Amino acid sequence: MTQFVTRARHAEDLLHFLRTIQKPEHPLDGLDERVSLIESGLIDSLAVLQIVSYLEETYGIDFTAKGIDPGELSSIGGILDLIESERG
Amino acid sequence: MTTVALVRTRLRQTVSFHENIALVAWWAAHLERAGAWITPGRRRQALSLLSLVFLVTSVTRKSTGAGPDLTLAPGLRALLLVPYVLGFLSLCYLGAVHFRRLPEVIRRRPQIVLHLFFWSMLVTLWLTPGSDGLWRALFAQFALILPFLLWRCGYLLKSGQRGKAANTSLADHLFYLWPVWRGSETPYGKGFDYLTRSEAQSTEALARSQLAGLKLLLLAQVWRGVMLLMRGAVYGDAKTPLAGMLHGHSLGMPWLQDLIRGTATASLLTAWVSVYCDLIWNTLKLAVKGHEYIGVLRLCGFNVFRNTYKPLLSESIVEFWNRYYYYFKELMVEFFFYPVFARYKTQPWLRTLLAIFAAAFVGNLYYHVIQQEKLLVVGNFSELWNLLHARIFYCFLLATGIYVSMLREQGRRGQPAGARGGVTRRLLRIGGVWTFYGLIHIWGVGSGQATFGQRTRFLLSLFALG
Repeated sequence: MTQFVTRARHAEDLLHFLRTIQKPEHPLDGLDERVSLIESGLIDSLAVLQIVSYLEETYGIDFTAKGIDPGELSSIGGILDLIESERG
Repeated sequence: MTTVALVRTRLRQTVSFHENIALVAWWAAHLERAGAWITPGRRRQALSLLSLVFLVTSVTRKSTGAGPDLTLAPGLRALLLVPYVLGFLSLCYLGAVHFRRLPEVIRRRPQIVLHLFFWSMLVTLWLTPGSDGLWRALFAQFALILPFLLWRCGYLLKSGQRGKAANTSLADHLFYLWPVWRGSETPYGKGFDYLTRSEAQSTEALARSQLAGLKLLLLAQVWRGVMLLMRGAVYGDAKTPLAGMLHGHSLGMPWLQDLIRGTATASLLTAWVSVYCDLIWNTLKLAVKGHEYIGVLRLCGFNVFRNTYKPLLSESIVEFWNRYYYYFKELMVEFFFYPVFARYKTQPWLRTLLAIFAAAFVGNLYYHVIQQEKLLVVGNFSELWNLLHARIFYCFLLATGIYVSMLREQGRRGQPAGARGGVTRRLLRIGGVWTFYGLIHIWGVGSGQATFGQRTRFLLSLFALG
């Protein structure tokens, strides 16, 4: 139960952040967790770096050793999975 | 609905035929019988088998032109070079599958190790100029092939690093390491991770992918036709099939590289139009090539992004870079931008600056250096400098432009739609992007055919200076 609550809170924070970097013409609301943010036109692939900075600052995730995997960061679900695996 | 709106809707429906639900269903129904057998895994295996055949034939036939002492006879190429290439690919595959068991130095810097391997072969060739022998010819021939493989094997090692290559076979990788659709040094469709993520998993998805591929192949032919028209009607090329139909009529636009070299002259206005025409020409050329490669990939069931997607409608420099040559940009981003960005956690502006210069300046330049494999193998550095010295400045301007544009884009993100003004402002932004890329291309066009000074003088002449 706690796990679901935590994921929901992370999702809420993430959506709040994504609204600050998203392209204006594409709605974020109601987007499926597994849909690619880049392919749906919400962000471009270079905006991934802003997501990286967000994850470093908010969750202390260190990408130095593991490298940045754009596939991992391409969807809301993928980012939430990464947060969980790094914090777990 | 007005007639204009009706025509527009019909036109949009025709152009987007690949998204027509009825057509997708019809196509899928015809694929249904074969679909049961052609699973994604089998498709990959079949493509890998074709790749193997293509690898053997192309490596055996390809004449390298690196000098007689560095050339192998066709029989020896088949006997020695083919196993050598296959051995190298197998080694990379095993490295990716067992990535965690590799020595730490390779695990920490797999890409650098891969490129050091290439450079160590070159250094060996440079240090042994007088010694003839089979081994040297074999080294040279392999070094000539390696630039085509380096980035592809780089993607394979990245899959290994991310733990995604485990439980895969060589047949799952061979099809993109030596693709039947050939391509350039830039891996269209990237590597295993992206291709499998975009792979059609159902008959309907395969139908969608194939129709989208068909559309791209048709579009490539349309752009090919436009290029033909441009060659005849704009540039007045007498060799085009259209020349006869045009009865010698054309705008007589000089090619940009002729203006730069001074072998053609033009008024100030014509010179500016030539700059823009060259940008359009290059975009079309890249779109034709990319649409054909991606079209084939989509027919094979990999519904990947287009390589070129309406770059001339881009409203910022960074957007153009993203849309003009997508897979080259992705290559630079994944192999240079992300690693530098992840490593240097300094101030945000400096971190972005370092990452952009690593990709658009260092990476871009390095890519073009290793593309000159024939010059590298024989160590002809003066010719290499002659070919690429102007590109150094081109890459510098590109990186600077992208950095400034990216900062501006970041500032604009999150703004509501419509906050960026109307049609006029949009056209101005598009014009600005055309001008930027048109002007920096002065240092990118016709490698080795004009000096840095000639290029700079041409730029000044566009502003009636010098």
